[in-house]
Amino acid sequence: MSKVILIGSPNSGKSLLFNKLTGLHHKVANFPGITVDVGIGRMRAMTDVELVDFPGTYSLQAISAEERVAVDQFERALDDPEVAHVLCVIDATRLEKSLYFTLQVIRDCERHGKPVTVLANMIDVLDNHKLALDVAGLAAELETPVLPVSARSGKGLDAVVSQLRASAGGATRVPRSRLVDSPDVLLRGTAHQLARRFGPKGDILIRSQTRLDSFFLSSLTGGLAFFAIMYLLFQSIFTWSAPAMDAVEGALAAMADLVVPLFGSQLARDFTSDALFGGIGAFLVFVPQIFVLTFVIGLLEDSGYLARAALICHKPLRLFGLTGKSFIPMLSGVACAIPGIYAARAIDSPRKRLLTYMAIPLMPCSARLPVYTLLIAAFIPADTALGGLVGWQGLAMFCIYFFGMFCGLLVTGVVSRSSEDHYTDLPFVLELPPYRVPGLPPLLRNAWNRSKHFVTKAGKIIFAVTLVIWVLGYFPNYGTDLGASWLGTLGHIVEPVFAPLGLDWRYAVAILTSFLAREVFVGTLGTIFGIESADENMTPLVQQIQASDLSIGSGLALLVFFAIALQCVSTLAILSKESASRSLALKMFVAYLLLAYAAALAIFHIAGLFGG
Amino acid sequence: MNLTLWSLKAGQRCEILGFDQVLADNYRTRMMEFGFHPGETVSCVQSLAFGAPKVYRVSNTIFSLDEEVASHLQVRLLGDNE
Repeated sequence: MSKVILIGSPNSGKSLLFNKLTGLHHKVANFPGITVDVGIGRMRAMTDVELVDFPGTYSLQAISAEERVAVDQFERALDDPEVAHVLCVIDATRLEKSLYFTLQVIRDCERHGKPVTVLANMIDVLDNHKLALDVAGLAAELETPVLPVSARSGKGLDAVVSQLRASAGGATRVPRSRLVDSPDVLLRGTAHQLARRFGPKGDILIRSQTRLDSFFLSSLTGGLAFFAIMYLLFQSIFTWSAPAMDAVEGALAAMADLVVPLFGSQLARDFTSDALFGGIGAFLVFVPQIFVLTFVIGLLEDSGYLARAALICHKPLRLFGLTGKSFIPMLSGVACAIPGIYAARAIDSPRKRLLTYMAIPLMPCSARLPVYTLLIAAFIPADTALGGLVGWQGLAMFCIYFFGMFCGLLVTGVVSRSSEDHYTDLPFVLELPPYRVPGLPPLLRNAWNRSKHFVTKAGKIIFAVTLVIWVLGYFPNYGTDLGASWLGTLGHIVEPVFAPLGLDWRYAVAILTSFLAREVFVGTLGTIFGIESADENMTPLVQQIQASDLSIGSGLALLVFFAIALQCVSTLAILSKESASRSLALKMFVAYLLLAYAAALAIFHIAGLFGG
Repeated sequence: MNLTLWSLKAGQRCEILGFDQVLADNYRTRMMEFGFHPGETVSCVQSLAFGAPKVYRVSNTIFSLDEEVASHLQVRLLGDNE
């Protein structure tokens, strides 16, 4: 099977073109070391040809580690005898931006003896505005075929297939133009001249973009639009995906009800119900949230708004070593760290992406909410002040939410100032793409692929850890007494670790199980205190905790511990996959655990000074 | 007086004269790849509040640049008739 490489600069419409040519049937592969996606798909019109979609890059002269990986892969592909042709996509509406890169590609292809065809995309946009690109003139000057295409409407794609067929039949020679020995500096000047000679004249496109920018980037309307859009984004994660998440849980429970009674022995029934279905549910429940968030972020990205949002947030986040592009991943992290970590892919600077990864797990995710609710109900009086305007419990919830965000920014601020640059960082130069109406099929496909990635990559780890925790909690007494189980024994063993926080073995066991997912803390404490369905009705558990001799200081220490500790196996699994670094996930786990413990210990002693 | 791209106000146009020595070579190269090369005309489309990155037009592409980059591009202000 022969291969055709598709390459182009960012925002040239390359991905849409890839999807049109392959019929959206592509798989995603990661380069080792750093996450760089390459789409591979069989061409619809030529089933014996595999189209390889390379990451968008502005230049073949890499300035970051991530770009280096992409460029090296491209150079290696040019040596691959199976690669028969290179398609270089340019944005016909903004010729100068694409042409320098195109000249580099043509030059390198000539050096490797690979035929190249330039696809001038978005020709429909030029048609709509009665603008023109001098295709024949450009092709003659480049000594390379140039085909006008529209990835959106499909116009000109037949000609692309014909060109590839002709090339496969040996009809296209590889021209040896004057470019072949040109250094980059000469290509820059050539690109500039060619764009002026052959590019569309007029600035209709820019004028419409500028009008919209004056709304979306102004202090007043831009600020209001930003908050409205972020509110919708937040709603999408919290509210819109909730029915689907409930449906997944309901479907799994219904399936468990059907399957579990089929087994004769209690052990098989418990295993199927709690370990098997519990383990599958532990990761499947996140899928709707990941799907919805990926879809909404894709919508914002394809419409051109995401770049504007990054611009608006850049200045305040820069103080903490982050970038404007960190905002959406961090906001997503307030709902759940997993979609937040996925959203961080949009950050092109590896260093800032790393810092964003560090901040996300400290955002007050929804899994912390049941724990906060329980502990606040148990330790903070339900009194109000200022004539009922301020409730102490509400204030405590606000403070602990704010504390998490503060910790996230503090960590990135300290790390960015104290660590050496392990990567070559990128400056904040952001191209503001034109506003466009997004296409639905690519958005849905992307959301589907991301969900599938989560299930296949992180699901296995989450499932395995769930099984281990189940085995520890079930044996040797077959689930009759959690306190006497191996997990209970483990709780007694680690009790001395938590004793300085005023916590006994029961809380130690609940903390150990919370490493599955933080909210499991509530259910485990309920089981230990002998309360059924404590996660659904917390009142009896709150009363039990209040009746026990746990001090306010210990309660506050637990709150702080949960605000900082990274005890979520799903987050760790996806962090390890997305960063392509197990050691990063491990280091963050250990560092946040130690930080959480130290902060909890400090708060316990401070509370002790006030008699708590 | 040496003007930098960062000092431009919304609506002003300038010609790029060059880069200062502080900007790293790889940044300089990337800026030129984006079209910010000496002799090119750049206009400041928007200047946001609170020191946020400014929005510039070069050729027919819109870029947003932070102060840490834009302050290293030396420019000459262009009049209405230039």
